[in-house]
Amino acid sequence: MNRATLTLLALLLICALSLVSAQQRGRKLVTAIERAQIEERKLNQEWLRLEYEQRNLSKSARIRDAARNQLNMSPISPNRTIYLREER
Amino acid sequence: MLFMLFVAFTALVVRALWIQGPGNAFYEAKAVKGTQRELEMSASRGKILDRNGQVIATSLEAKAVIAYNDTVPKDLSDEKIKQLANLLQMREVDVRKKLKDERNQVFLKRQVDPAIAQQIRKLEIPGIGLNNEFRRFYPEGEAMAHVVGFTNVEDHGQEGMELSRENDLAASTGKRRVVVDRLGRIVEDMGVLQLPQNGKDLKLSVDSKIQYIAYNALKDAVEKHRAKAAGAVVINVQTGEILALANWPSYNPNDRKILSGEQLRNRVMTDTFEPGSTIKPFTVALAMEKGQVNPNTVMTIGAKYLVGPKPITDTHLYPSLTVAEVIQKSSNIGTSKLAMNMPASEMWDLFTAVGFGQTPKVGFPGAVAGRLHPHQKWMPTDQARIAFGYGISTSLFQMARAYTIFARDGELVPVTIEHSPDYKAGVRVISAKTAIEMRSMLESVTEAGGTAIKAHAEGYRVGGKTGTAHKVAGKGYSTNKYLAYFTGIAPISAPRIVVAVMVDEPTANGYYGGQVAAPIFSTIVSETLRAMNVAPDSTVKNMVQRDDAIKPGSVAPIQRVVLTQ
Repeated sequence: MNRATLTLLALLLICALSLVSAQQRGRKLVTAIERAQIEERKLNQEWLRLEYEQRNLSKSARIRDAARNQLNMSPISPNRTIYLREER
Repeated sequence: MLFMLFVAFTALVVRALWIQGPGNAFYEAKAVKGTQRELEMSASRGKILDRNGQVIATSLEAKAVIAYNDTVPKDLSDEKIKQLANLLQMREVDVRKKLKDERNQVFLKRQVDPAIAQQIRKLEIPGIGLNNEFRRFYPEGEAMAHVVGFTNVEDHGQEGMELSRENDLAASTGKRRVVVDRLGRIVEDMGVLQLPQNGKDLKLSVDSKIQYIAYNALKDAVEKHRAKAAGAVVINVQTGEILALANWPSYNPNDRKILSGEQLRNRVMTDTFEPGSTIKPFTVALAMEKGQVNPNTVMTIGAKYLVGPKPITDTHLYPSLTVAEVIQKSSNIGTSKLAMNMPASEMWDLFTAVGFGQTPKVGFPGAVAGRLHPHQKWMPTDQARIAFGYGISTSLFQMARAYTIFARDGELVPVTIEHSPDYKAGVRVISAKTAIEMRSMLESVTEAGGTAIKAHAEGYRVGGKTGTAHKVAGKGYSTNKYLAYFTGIAPISAPRIVVAVMVDEPTANGYYGGQVAAPIFSTIVSETLRAMNVAPDSTVKNMVQRDDAIKPGSVAPIQRVVLTQ
């Protein structure tokens, strides 16, 4: 066998091995993407849940209750309000 | 011997060829089954938001707990069953019954909280599986129930916007094929078979805050007057958006056990009633529009007016009234006298133009048309009574929408439940002059001498019309069952909202529209306009002109918060 054949054989081997490793890497990446997508979904759900909780805590009914009963506030009345008007 | 070997080898070769060739499909399918899977790609139903982007309906992940009864061990320990029943908040007997079910696959419970599902998984009972699904949540609860409606356990809309906008809100799950390794990890994506489609979010015109104001005002009034039901609607007259639409009784859409019966009814949209005096402004406006009268024209009224077999009467005796006073005092005689001077067709045309007798196109399930007979069928006695609201029926929503012609200088505004905050062009029904004159007549109703002084809202000039109708009972009218209404506009100087209120069968502390419905109107108007940041147009104390010359400290502190101490 001459040198050229040997070089080609070596190249072929390298190619074959790198193909295997590339395929392996590809599969690993797919798994990683899957995992990330599951995580994304989870976080999305978490966000929806938090949005819902925040909404629950900021409901008009709750604010009114807290203002009246805990903070002893009362509704404003125009009689006790000073209105500022811009001069025209 | 050699021959035998030859035959054996030939058989092997044939078999090998068979497997590689024509018989290949079977093995290929087997291999694919082992390594390829079809996965469901979940998609969630769209959210419903209010005009400020606040969530009023949202889907959160939940789990369905399923028992595969051929896998669940028959000798499952009592301890485990007890723990399972506790976690599911079910009785032990019920759990046992379901585990003994003939069918292989039984739902133990659906829409279980994910945290609880996790604990169930930790029990490690063979054959108990968890499926992904969604559960709908409604943070506003009772206050918004009739607007949003609700979905069933399969996530399909059943009432309200959930039903009418089902096509947009609904999600469709997708499917994809993947290759998995022996541990079940996905190693290759073979592609999507069907794209998942999330439902579209829906933004409504309703304002949670105003909705809450309206709902609460109704709730308080129903308690005070021991009424059967009540409804209210608030419309922004500039944009035609429904800002609030409240009903009492209501229900909590988060609680599946009570989603049936009377309280589901969206009375504002689906119940029709005889509007009584709230319709008078239309009859009077038509007479003014035709130039027959002006607000100062004096009319003879008297004790009764004979049209047909039964005389028309008023609650008080007025020898004479101006046209403006006919509205202010709500005179039946005055209104029917005006009506009898007009052709029936013209009255019918006006009533039809403002939407009576026609199904409103607003996207609510079950919205009704009400009843307005063709004018050819009107007898004179019908015409005289339709003029003050008997023999015609409308929903509260139709009435509120019709009043936009007075708020919008004669134009009827297209009304919508979807968020669309730009100014809408209306359809002209009466002239601006008539509408403006009618507005000041409506304002006089809420002033001294009017029928609805209690409609007066602090800080704002308001106008409107009361109505009290006997309820239809059997073939005639009930003598002691009433409907009380008030429909009005505020602020009068530059109208922003129309509010219509209805109270069904008030039994305590009065029953007239002016006593029962007007105070609700007053509460809703003053709180809504404040929430909308509308400056007061009536004289209030402490009005301060902005003037930079004022020395610091000479201006009292400004109170601009919703609640102050």
